[in-house]
Amino acid sequence: MRFTVERRLNQPRWLVVAVPIGSVVVGLAVSAVVLLATGHDPLSSYRQLFDAAFLSTGSLNQTLIAATPLAFTGLATAAAFRMRIFNIGAEGQLYMGAITGAAAGLYLGGRGGPSAFVIAAMVFMGCIGGAAWAAIPGVFRAFFGASEILTSLMLNYVAAQILTYLIFESQSYWRQTKGFNATVFPTGKPLPSSAIWLGPTVHVQGGITLPLGAGFAVLAAVVLWVLYRRMRFGFEVQVLGDSLGAARYAGVRVRRKVLAVMLISGGIAGLGGVSQDGDFRHALDGDPNGLQKQAYGYTGIVVAALARYNPFAVVVIAFLIGGLANAGNTLQGADFPSGLVGVIEGIILFCALGGELLVRHRVRFVPRTRTPAVAAPEAAP
Amino acid sequence: MTKRKLALAAAVLVIAAAAAILALGTSPGSAKSSGTFKAAWIYVGPHNDGGWSQAHDAGRLYVQKALGSKVQTTYKENIAVGAQLQQTVASLVSQGYKIIFGTSYGFFDKALAAKYPNVLFEQATGTDVAKNLSEYFGAAEDTVFLSGIAAGAAAQCNTIGYVVAYPIPEVIRHANAFALGAQLAHPGIKVKLVWTNSWFDPAKEKRSAQSLHGAGACVLGQNVDSPATGQYAESVNVPWVGYDSDAQKFAPKSWLTASVYNWGPYYLKRVKAAMNGTWKPGFYYGTISDGFTGLAKYGPDVSAKAKSLIAKWEAKLRANRGAEFTGPLYDQSGKLRVPKGKKLTVQQLYSMNWLVKGVIGSPKG
Repeated sequence: MRFTVERRLNQPRWLVVAVPIGSVVVGLAVSAVVLLATGHDPLSSYRQLFDAAFLSTGSLNQTLIAATPLAFTGLATAAAFRMRIFNIGAEGQLYMGAITGAAAGLYLGGRGGPSAFVIAAMVFMGCIGGAAWAAIPGVFRAFFGASEILTSLMLNYVAAQILTYLIFESQSYWRQTKGFNATVFPTGKPLPSSAIWLGPTVHVQGGITLPLGAGFAVLAAVVLWVLYRRMRFGFEVQVLGDSLGAARYAGVRVRRKVLAVMLISGGIAGLGGVSQDGDFRHALDGDPNGLQKQAYGYTGIVVAALARYNPFAVVVIAFLIGGLANAGNTLQGADFPSGLVGVIEGIILFCALGGELLVRHRVRFVPRTRTPAVAAPEAAP
Repeated sequence: MTKRKLALAAAVLVIAAAAAILALGTSPGSAKSSGTFKAAWIYVGPHNDGGWSQAHDAGRLYVQKALGSKVQTTYKENIAVGAQLQQTVASLVSQGYKIIFGTSYGFFDKALAAKYPNVLFEQATGTDVAKNLSEYFGAAEDTVFLSGIAAGAAAQCNTIGYVVAYPIPEVIRHANAFALGAQLAHPGIKVKLVWTNSWFDPAKEKRSAQSLHGAGACVLGQNVDSPATGQYAESVNVPWVGYDSDAQKFAPKSWLTASVYNWGPYYLKRVKAAMNGTWKPGFYYGTISDGFTGLAKYGPDVSAKAKSLIAKWEAKLRANRGAEFTGPLYDQSGKLRVPKGKKLTVQQLYSMNWLVKGVIGSPKG
């Protein structure tokens, strides 16, 4: 017996449901082996994981905090990848959005304008910051054909250096310079109260604060969906993604479209950055052991892939992965090494992504025969 | 359209399936309302990093051993400030932990302490004190200074390489103390810095050590958390001074010594106080004389002369904490920073932003 993997001619609908469930179940089963081998009860571990992610008091609050930035970076990635523009730079674009958004919040908030205006300005400036950073690889791709994969990735490191420089290595506008604490350890200047995003509170689980950023993420998903599914722009970019030649022939202005997609992608990532300032940190977080260690931009790529670049699915998957991250954090401890948490998260994500193969392809078992009729095509060059 | 709906349905079903599996599982392990007192530690790196976090974990185990079944301890490792720290504290509080030690700057502040008024917080290396928030650290600069003597005495050339984390006062004062010690044993020696901008990054630490060695350093030292510098030093056969924990096993031949912390007794005292209700907020600054800091045992290449110089200064520092920062002290540009006979206060040490003469590198990173 041998088996071949071949493309499905048609994709049965039930597969779209069965494969993700099956993949996660397989992931849990494989993880169970690892858990048993390390002396942990898999069922009680999974139960704790689930409790910590969604059920116990305050867990949804924490899950939303973890999920919100992933929704932004997931959407940013999906917006570009869908069109086969591989923007790996959501991480750096998020930092730049955090920087420009915090500047707007510090400046306007300090002048005592109404909160809604300050927040709107922060959102706008965050998008601008992210989009501007994405424009760099966008221009190089559109006009010089440079691989946006490499340029956007490299710019992540540059953005990280800038972020650290602003708080740790300079007396910048973003850095807190007053008080004894500020001399002991560098921190960002706290945002004025009018620049802090106050989300509505839902009275379940002892009060869940819905981050304003989570609302913006859902809004961004709707806008993306309309733009890509209901507008001419989306169609043209889709054609471009499928075939450059066909797009040119149809009169699509390729450079503009590539640039536009990068700007949209970067803008969404930048919005995620300013949401970090306004929703959660209430200052620019330049600590290399803070925002930069979370690697939201890279996890966003996994989120986008699992969601098959569908904006609404991105939001759902971000929520689930946010829950997984939150739960993993709760689960780790003296009797449960953080490495084991990472292994389990990795297995589940690996299986979920690997399972995707089975939606579009099928595995067929071919009996091994010695007839030349089967062997001949293989031998052909 | 339908495909998308199906994908969403799939996601919902995954949750349902997971819930079903979990419902079949045994009851959750979080047994509440037992008589044990729960204490937790939050680390910036792995609990077995061979340095800073490992020293804290040794302190946790010391508490666990001393109090036995009366106390339940746990730790959270590799925690970043920001969202992850907030999640970690929230989950520890909901699991009934009553005292939480945060072992890195930026973990706790007054706002966080105010959010959980029934939980006691203690933070290493910080400054904020509140009703339920204490700060603790100690005069590691004194023992780092002693370890600098060992480095200076071992140097056959005129440059020591020092791998440093962040350009912040804590690290700057340790680098200064190290340089002053080295200069005492080896007048005129230079201490060259390379910043890693991370507390724990073995790969970067190794690269930094490599570049320092390449730039002519014949002894290596460090103020970062992993023993990667030592492993590199061992591979190129140059002496090494560690930090935080006794890490001789990582570089048996290169090992000279290290300034090490003994967090255990402080932790035990504070956990006991929390248990019997006598806990009070404060700012603890441990010293050599109360056993908080010390020198790890010497490696094979520390000369008898170096040992006697260290012993002499150790006696001095026992009687007079921070004596190495007594003037006259000059900064890199040769400007007199501490006049003759004056000594820096703890507050001045906590905000030190200048490097002493003979250090090569920028205090801004």
